[in-house]
Formats: sequence, C-alpha cells, structure tokens
Amino acid sequence: MNRTVRKLFSNASSLVGIVLLFIFIIIALFAPIIAPPLSDNPYQVPRMSWDVNPQPPGFPISDDIREVYDFMGTEIKYDKAICGTAEGGYDIFYGLIWGTRTAFKIGLITVTVAGFIGVFIGSISAYFGGWIDEGLMRITDIFLSFPFLVAAMVLTTILGRGLDKVMIALIVFGWMGYARLIRGSILSAKEETYVMAAKALGVKDIKIIWKHLLPNTIFPVMVQGTMSIGSMVITAAALSFLGVGAPVGYADWGQMVSFARNWIIGAPGHAGQYWYTVLYPGIFIVLFVLAWNLIGDTLRDILDPRLRGEL
Amino acid sequence: MIINNKEPLLEVIDLKTYFFTEEGVVKAVDGVDFEVYQGETLGIVGESGCGKSVTAFSIMRLLDYPGKTVGGKIVFKGYNLLEKSDDEMRKVRGKDIAMIFQEPMTALNPVLTVGFQISEALMMHFKIGKKEAINKSVELLKKVEIPMPEERANEYPHQLSGGMRQRAMIAMAMSCDPVLLIADEPTTALDVTIQAQILDLMRTLLREFNGSLIMITHDLGVIAEIADRIAIMYAGKIVEYANKRTIFYSPLHPYTFGLLTSIPRLDLEMKRLNVIPGVVPNPLHFPEGCKFNPRCSFVTDRCKEEEPQLIEVEEGHLVRCWNIDKVAQEVKKGLLVGV
Repeated sequence: MNRTVRKLFSNASSLVGIVLLFIFIIIALFAPIIAPPLSDNPYQVPRMSWDVNPQPPGFPISDDIREVYDFMGTEIKYDKAICGTAEGGYDIFYGLIWGTRTAFKIGLITVTVAGFIGVFIGSISAYFGGWIDEGLMRITDIFLSFPFLVAAMVLTTILGRGLDKVMIALIVFGWMGYARLIRGSILSAKEETYVMAAKALGVKDIKIIWKHLLPNTIFPVMVQGTMSIGSMVITAAALSFLGVGAPVGYADWGQMVSFARNWIIGAPGHAGQYWYTVLYPGIFIVLFVLAWNLIGDTLRDILDPRLRGEL
Repeated sequence: MIINNKEPLLEVIDLKTYFFTEEGVVKAVDGVDFEVYQGETLGIVGESGCGKSVTAFSIMRLLDYPGKTVGGKIVFKGYNLLEKSDDEMRKVRGKDIAMIFQEPMTALNPVLTVGFQISEALMMHFKIGKKEAINKSVELLKKVEIPMPEERANEYPHQLSGGMRQRAMIAMAMSCDPVLLIADEPTTALDVTIQAQILDLMRTLLREFNGSLIMITHDLGVIAEIADRIAIMYAGKIVEYANKRTIFYSPLHPYTFGLLTSIPRLDLEMKRLNVIPGVVPNPLHFPEGCKFNPRCSFVTDRCKEEEPQLIEVEEGHLVRCWNIDKVAQEVKKGLLVGV
C-alpha cells in the first residue's frame, strides 16, 4: 500500500489530480468559513437580489434583500456576489462552495453503495455459478439495457425531487458495471489452487469470498469506482440541469449550470454577456471530474501488474 | 507397518467419478476400490490423467461441475461421505481429512499472511479466538521446522522459499489434527534435496500423530520412501494393488512392470532407458478390452476383447491382467530395481 501511495505522489498527472482533490476537500471542509450561510439550511443558496437577470461579479447585495435580513435579524456576513449572481439573484460563489460538499456527497455515497451492491451480486454470482449466476446476470442485463441517464431521470421523476432521490436513482442504475467486473475477476480467481486449499480446510463459502477472493480481485473495482465518482457527479449535474435533480436553490453545481440555461448565449448584441453564469460552475465540474479521473488512471496503472512490469 | 487394527479408517468402494463434457462423458475414475488403515500410508501411483488426483478430490468432495461422483461409497469412520450434507462435509474437511496440494506456490493465498491462513482453520474448527489461533499457528510452524516461526507467521507467501511454503502447507493441513491426510504430489514442484526434507518431515509427523496418509504421486522413488501399500492406477482404474515389497519385487501387471523397468539403474550397463511405448489413451475413447492393451508388450487377442477383472492372486495382492504368468516369468529375469 505504501508503494501505491508513493507512486501516486511521484506521477505528474496523478499529482495534479491529488492537488485538485485536496483543494476541493479544503473547500468542502471550510465551506462555512469561506461562504458563511445566511439561513438555517446552509445548502440553500442565498439570493442577492430579486432580479431575474443575472448580475455580474462583484454585485453588492440589493437593498430590498438587505432589508429582509435586517428584519429577520440575520447578520449579513458578506455582501458581494464575488462570481456574480445567477438567474433569480442566486449567489454563484455560495452555490459553488457549498456545491462542493454536494458533489462529494453524491460521488462518494453513490459509488460506495453501488459498488457494494455490485460486488455483492457479482461475487455471489461468480462463486456459486449455475442457476444463481444465470439468474443474477440476467437481472444485471435487464438493468444494463436501460439507457443510464434516461432511466435515472425517469426514476427521479417518479420518486420526486431531492438530492436523496437523485442518489437512489444513480445507485439503482449504477451497480451493474461493478457486478460484471468483479464477476469476471472472481470467475478466474476461484479456479486458483488456494481457493481449493481453503475449501479443503473446511472454510465457509462466504469467508472464502470475503477473505480469499475479494482481496485478490477488488482492485479493478476500486479503479472503476474512483473513475466513476466523476461521472456520477456529472450525471447528477445533468439531472439537475434537466430540472429533475436537486430542488430549486439547492447548492449544487448542476443547479448552477441549470440557472444559466437561458443566459448562455448572452443578450442580443452582447454575446456572452452572462459568461459568469456558466463559466464558474462549468470550471468546478470539469476540475472535479478531472481530479478523480487523473487519480483513477494512475491507480489503474499502478495496480495493473501487466502495466507495472511484474508479469 | 503392521496393521493391528483390521477395521479400515477409510474405505473406498466402487468409486465412479465422471466428467460430463460437451464431447462426451469422461470416466476419470471408474470403479476404484481401496482401503486405508489407521497409521498406514497408501500410495496411489499413475501417469498424469490416470485419475489419481480426481480420486483424492472425490474423497474430499471438492469437485465442481462438470465433475460428478456418480457411484460408489466412501466410508470414513463408518459414515458414507457421499451421503453427508454440504455443511457436515465442510466440518469433515480440515478437521478429519486434510489435504496437501502439489504447488505450494499457488496453494497459498498471495494476499494473506501465512499465519492467518493457518489460523483460519483453527478458529473455525475449534472455535477459538484469534490470538490463541495465531499462537497455535506459530507452534505449528515450529513443528514443521520453519526457522523464526514468529516472524514467518506475519509474512506473505511470496516471502518464503518453495520448501518453506510446502512446510507451511503441511502446517495448515496438520493444524486441526486430522486423522487422514491426502497429499496430492506434495513434492513434485520441489527440487530433490527439498523433496527429501519434506518427506522426512511428513514421516516424522505421521509417526507422531499416528494418522493415515494417502500419497498421490507419479514418482516411484517417493513412494518407495514413504508408502506401506501401493495402488497402481491406469485410465481410471486400479490395475495392481499390493504392499510395497510385492509391488517393487514381484509385480504382476505389465504396466507396473513397465514403470519399474523404466527407472534408470546405476548398477547395470544400459544403452537406453526402457520406456512404455505409446501415450495414455484419450479418456473419451478408451480402447476395447483391457485399457492398457495398445501399449502392452504382453498383449494377446483376449486383451483386446475382454477387460480383465481385478483379481486377488495372493493375499493382499490384486491384479487386473490376463497374462500374469508371462509377467511373472519376465520379473524373474531380474530387471527390476528393487527397493
């Protein structure tokens, strides 16, 4: 494991990924300091004006909003929209900072849960074989036959709006890859003599899977998982962009891009006038996905014995 | 070793294990009978593919699809192992019957420490804690003469040499004090000096726990060292079954005779080594009659038509051949190595 960590740090591209990821972690951890919440629910993006039109970076909080906060007795800890405001006066900067937490939440939770489900189904299926394998793999095929984004969209629509619903949808249609991957690895690993030796000692099947097979086969799944944290965040953003994701005003990068939908091309005669509405959230999403992919790529290179020249 | 207890520990009766492949049914083990007594070593000898390993796996019930034991009985301590449930069988494995594998390289899990792999069976069969199990594994490693057992227990298989790995395998197999040990070519992957050490170790341990051993090998030298009685297998059947002395001094089956005369001798001038002509028959298309007839130098017409039965020619000496007399005459010429 030490070797893996050392390699991760000595490789230029993974170092970029790690630095980026580190910055995102810092942002997520210190979100309450970087962008102090103005209401009880910190994930609610504060509005800097009631104006429909986006306002450019540096826009100060409008007087009527200030009145509302004064009336509620809330202290206004900052009064400028550093990155401008999105449609409806939502503060882009605040949305980006707290959206980092959302992104981590979506990415880590969906990938972990989907990974567990996939590994469970895939390993059971591969180890026991026969009818169990046949049945489980056909179920996997059924799930695989749905187009991912459309299926997730439909399910989110049925379940209703909300980040948790998005995550459920992403998990329900996101575990099949892991199941296939681990099944393939275990199918070959279970023919190894050490599995037979463990059976000959009377070790229970479930222990053979957990203690003997998974440690030998889990790495491809870990690489796949790392890489798909980025894509899960993108899909969640896409759902938000399409209007079935997080509720309006929730700090979520997809939501921020979604606010920019009507303003991307700018105003007549002023192409790109509202560039800040799409550029800043876009940069955050791209960098976040890039960070995970760079790390995932390097992890794959390190953990693949063929590429590291040991075989 | 003198067999005092006439009640066999393990009795294999008419064992039939077939593989159901797409090309047809492969009769890997086709009606094998033998018994193992308390404290003795039975050697099963044969070429690759003769069914000796499949016999071992059938006893342990470790064969998966497409292999299936379709007939016979495996009576161990009075119970038929083939009738036990999977869970009951799991409790027999490791505890009562343990197995040593051919390749110590692949039979140990590369990602688990040696100590853990030994203690795993201990924790399960004796329901003891982790600490106690680890202590016991260190003791076992000491018993199989691995130097610095405390450190070795925390090491991974790739950090051990081939001989040490096989010792660790033996420690694993011996961990729960089994009464029957099945060793499937335990010395094949080792070089000769290490082979001798491993055989010595196994003999010492066997004497100590008074258990029985089924030694599966193609190496007659190993068998001569360790076995009390020997079963020679060919094409899924036992062709000759006798005690060691009889097999080596007065074999009555042409295949046994062929095997023994193909051992190089130091005391005789030999231009060429004797060989058994031909190859092991394809298990999908065994020849008519005696399965050894295409390779046999004593072959007669009868061999090609009718398969001989395993008959007892004298007490404890069973042979499957029509031409015992001819072989006996040839043996008298004194070409055998002897023990």
